Amino acid sequence: MSDVATGLSSARTEVLADGTAVVTIGGSWNQDSSLPAIVVKGDRVRVVAEGLADFDSSLPAWLYANFKNVRHLDLSALPVRLQSLVQMAEKASSADERPPHPGFLEQFGTWGLESSASWGRAFEHIGHTAIGFLRMLVGRAKVNWSDFRLELQTSGVDALPIVALLGFLTGLIMAYVGLIQLRLVGATVYVANLVSLAMTREMGALMTGIIACGRTSTAYASQLGSMNVSQETDALRALGINPIEYLAVPRILAVTLMIPLLAVFATFIGVFGGMVVACAGDLSIEQYLTQAVRAISFKSFLVGFIKSIAFGFIAAWAGCYRGSVAKRSALGVGEAATSAAVLGITFIVISDALFAVIFNLFDL
Amino acid sequence: MSAGDILTCADLAIGHGDRVIMDRLNLSLAPGKILAIVGPSGCGKSTLMRALGGLDEPLGGKTTLMGVDLNASRGQQRQDILRRTGFLFQGSALFSSLTLRENIEMPMREFLKAPHREIRQLAEYKLALVGLADAMDKLPSEISGGMAKRAGIARAMALDPSVIFLDEPSAGLDPMSSGRLDELILRLREAFGTTIVLVSHEVPSILRTADFCVYLDPDTGTMGAYGPPKSFLQAGQPPKVHAFFSQARFD
Ligand SMILES: Nc1ncnc2c1ncn2[C@@H]1O[C@H](COP(=O)(O)OP(=O)(O)OP(=O)(O)O)[C@@H](O)[C@H]1O
Ligand SMILES: [Mg+2]
Repeated sequence: MSDVATGLSSARTEVLADGTAVVTIGGSWNQDSSLPAIVVKGDRVRVVAEGLADFDSSLPAWLYANFKNVRHLDLSALPVRLQSLVQMAEKASSADERPPHPGFLEQFGTWGLESSASWGRAFEHIGHTAIGFLRMLVGRAKVNWSDFRLELQTSGVDALPIVALLGFLTGLIMAYVGLIQLRLVGATVYVANLVSLAMTREMGALMTGIIACGRTSTAYASQLGSMNVSQETDALRALGINPIEYLAVPRILAVTLMIPLLAVFATFIGVFGGMVVACAGDLSIEQYLTQAVRAISFKSFLVGFIKSIAFGFIAAWAGCYRGSVAKRSALGVGEAATSAAVLGITFIVISDALFAVIFNLFDL
Repeated sequence: MSAGDILTCADLAIGHGDRVIMDRLNLSLAPGKILAIVGPSGCGKSTLMRALGGLDEPLGGKTTLMGVDLNASRGQQRQDILRRTGFLFQGSALFSSLTLRENIEMPMREFLKAPHREIRQLAEYKLALVGLADAMDKLPSEISGGMAKRAGIARAMALDPSVIFLDEPSAGLDPMSSGRLDELILRLREAFGTTIVLVSHEVPSILRTADFCVYLDPDTGTMGAYGPPKSFLQAGQPPKVHAFFSQARFD
């Protein structure tokens, strides 16, 4: 590759009797064209220029990349402005310290350790949150009450339309599926029991909890995550304010108060949704309502209510937790939002199963 | 003002929204020259740089960059101009989810046709120029403020721009790194004829590197003085300019 005449960048090597490699460079060098490849052995290298036309930073970069580990590098035959640009580049102290790629077992082990550590961190965060609530109760925590008021609105009141829509559709779907079976045995009147019981005990709380994970957990994770990125959390800490008390406690409190109310609302709307389907052919409105009221007991109302409190807490906590451990980058904030929704929904479903067992034991 | 100037502004007014911070600004810079912008904090130095570099629209007047009227250039033409400039932001503005190496490689991948391996070489070299050869695989959140500044400078140099804008390049650097940076600026100019506009508060460094210096005076809302920095030390300058510069007389 020595085509000085055509103007392309070129480099060739000769080895002198004393072992010094002489590299002759020439042509014009620019960032947009491909550069010559070269292999040089030994630790004495002299670089000379022959027919060297113009160059940009690709030439010093090429020299730096190829000769940075050469012990005795002689650039004295090159133009001064080029020499100085190569010398300005500071060598990395260790050429390649990247660790070798881990094997499969090692990766599996690392994953295991990391996930158990992250469970540890999650429970630690729950602990700190609980302490934050206790300190709030005794009036020793610095809590951002304006956030609290704002969140009552954004996480509670603003969610009414979506909760109404999804609650209505849930009731409607259950009535529809229920009727298909109940018609077979001629017991269509029990569709009212089915819908109202399921909405009160189960679906009202569950649907609202899942909506909260989609709306609120993700929002909190990105809010707290980006505060992490811009070091606002550090700034709070530097002021002597505990970020969990200041940011997480008001949010969790607001959501834990609002979700049960939303769940009750969803329940009523769901029962109404069921009524629309049932009364479209099979039952009269009066029949449906009498049957529904008979089916809802105080016990099942209590079951749904307790669950919705827990779901609200979980949804808000998942967002605050993932936000507070978010990596400090734009990507990290996005990941935090996704994982907050996943964590929230997972915990809600797991705790729903636990509640089923517990309520069964206490015969509720 | 002569026809060959790479950067000019005439009767420029800058500000944010409707609020004019500085007006009646007239500057011109020949290729390969180094201009320092000085003035008290909050007087509009960063705002002026953004206007000169074509990042913000001026509130009035005319700016040209590389012979192109910035007011009249839109879309692709504006982008082509911006591509031939490099910008170091006051807050470094590194892409937080990319490593330092990837931060430098990003503009190269977008604009150069060179193969992967060569882009890597270029990026490593540019990071080595600012003394970050050891930190290439770190994320911006894992480095210090001064390192972020230097990485930002490497990114500004990525495409061998004709004009480099540096907003407080030496803020947060120790005297040694700051001295190295002055040397780097001078060598870049020497090797590639790069034009450099910088904001700095360090008088010794300005005296060492800059050919021209403009002092922005917040009280009058325009430039208080314009000329070679050495002339700012002499008597006959407005008292404020003189005071600003003579803090470092003992140097
Ligand atoms: N994005 C913005 N929107 C509105 N006003 C702004 C904005 N950025 C800066 N300002 C205002 O413009 C003025 C000049 O700001 P600028 O950042 O240019 O100052 P500076 O001279 O660079 O200061 P410093 O030396 O502290 O960096 C300030 O009064 C500031 O309040
Ligand atoms: Mg500034």
